[in-house]
Amino acid sequence: MAGQSDPHLSVFTPPEVEFLAEDEKVEIIPKLSLGSLHMICGDFGPFRPNIASEVPLWLAVALKERGKCDIRAPDWMSVDKLMQILEAERESPREFQPLPFHYIEISKLLFKHAHDNIQDIYMVRSLIEDIRDVRFHKVESGLQTISGRTHAVKLKNLSAMEVNIVRPFMIRTLQAFYKHDSPHIIQQPEKSGSRRPQAPDRGPRPLQKKVTFPT
Amino acid sequence: MPGYYDMDDILMEDEPISVVFQVGAHGCGLLDPGSETIDIEKGTKMDLPYWLAHQLHLRQAVSISVPASFSQKTRKEIQADAACVDLKGRCPYFYELGCKVAPLVGDKTIGSFLLYAFTDRYKEMLSKSHSASAVPRFSSRLTKEESQLFQAARSSMAAFKKWRTGGSRLEKASILGRKRKRTIPLGPSSP
Repeated sequence: MAGQSDPHLSVFTPPEVEFLAEDEKVEIIPKLSLGSLHMICGDFGPFRPNIASEVPLWLAVALKERGKCDIRAPDWMSVDKLMQILEAERESPREFQPLPFHYIEISKLLFKHAHDNIQDIYMVRSLIEDIRDVRFHKVESGLQTISGRTHAVKLKNLSAMEVNIVRPFMIRTLQAFYKHDSPHIIQQPEKSGSRRPQAPDRGPRPLQKKVTFPT
Repeated sequence: MPGYYDMDDILMEDEPISVVFQVGAHGCGLLDPGSETIDIEKGTKMDLPYWLAHQLHLRQAVSISVPASFSQKTRKEIQADAACVDLKGRCPYFYELGCKVAPLVGDKTIGSFLLYAFTDRYKEMLSKSHSASAVPRFSSRLTKEESQLFQAARSSMAAFKKWRTGGSRLEKASILGRKRKRTIPLGPSSP
């Protein structure tokens, strides 16, 4: 159903991105004993008390809600690691630090359902907010350098939710710049003012600059 | 043609352009609301919608002059501060019209001028659209194309903020919203 919520923009809504994020694996520590669970996506279990096992996030949340397990916070979600990442983000103005692809969604789900399983939850939460802010400001300042010559925009290490936010804006921007900047280089009258990219029968365009955010 | 069914294209082509007739036109006095005769003399200056002006230009019946939106006065204003110029009031299809008119008028500077204006306003728009606070003053100055860009960023940011504050994932379908009238006939209708 992705994209059907808004047919013109064809983006995912944030709940849809969250749904996709729930496939990520996390570690749980079951409280009860449970046999194997045979699902379409795979078999999980058998679960024994206090023996950690890896399950998808949706299953972990479901078990947690029924009081059958404790979720162990992922490694990247500790205060020290996040402090390191935040420092690194602040120091490099054009690069994004490698973070799990769905870190925003995973952290939100864990805060909601497993707040007693995370240490220093307020600190972790505020650190993740800060990291998110810094990264988004980097995206914005990088977008200012798009000009008509931009052929492609490369954003390395951007997470799923951040990509989803900027996707419609960036697509439209690139199309608008393509439309406005191309005919004046070749000095040909533009045939039609359509917003979609024209078929490549204009002849080779001069060498384009490719904007990449990490240098 | 990709632009044929595009609604914005159709609306844009309705913008008036001032033209000068190169030939006399018999019986076309209706085009000009202020003319007294039923014919149009050669050399008359009047406003026609773009689609008509374009077709007549192809037949070499009119010559098109530069629209007011691209005059020197507007150019000076945009060069002063592009973000504050009210393009929606002047011409909501500023950029598209410029792209289409440029080859007809033979003015090569319109293209770079449009690019300059767009780049300037885009920078301004970038910072404002993602802030997700109400900025109605700025958005009322944008052309149609720019405001679509603006709305796209604004709506995706608003959806993210709403999700972040913990909205429910299940939403009632909009089709169930209003009360529906009973369509079952209550009894046999009288002839």
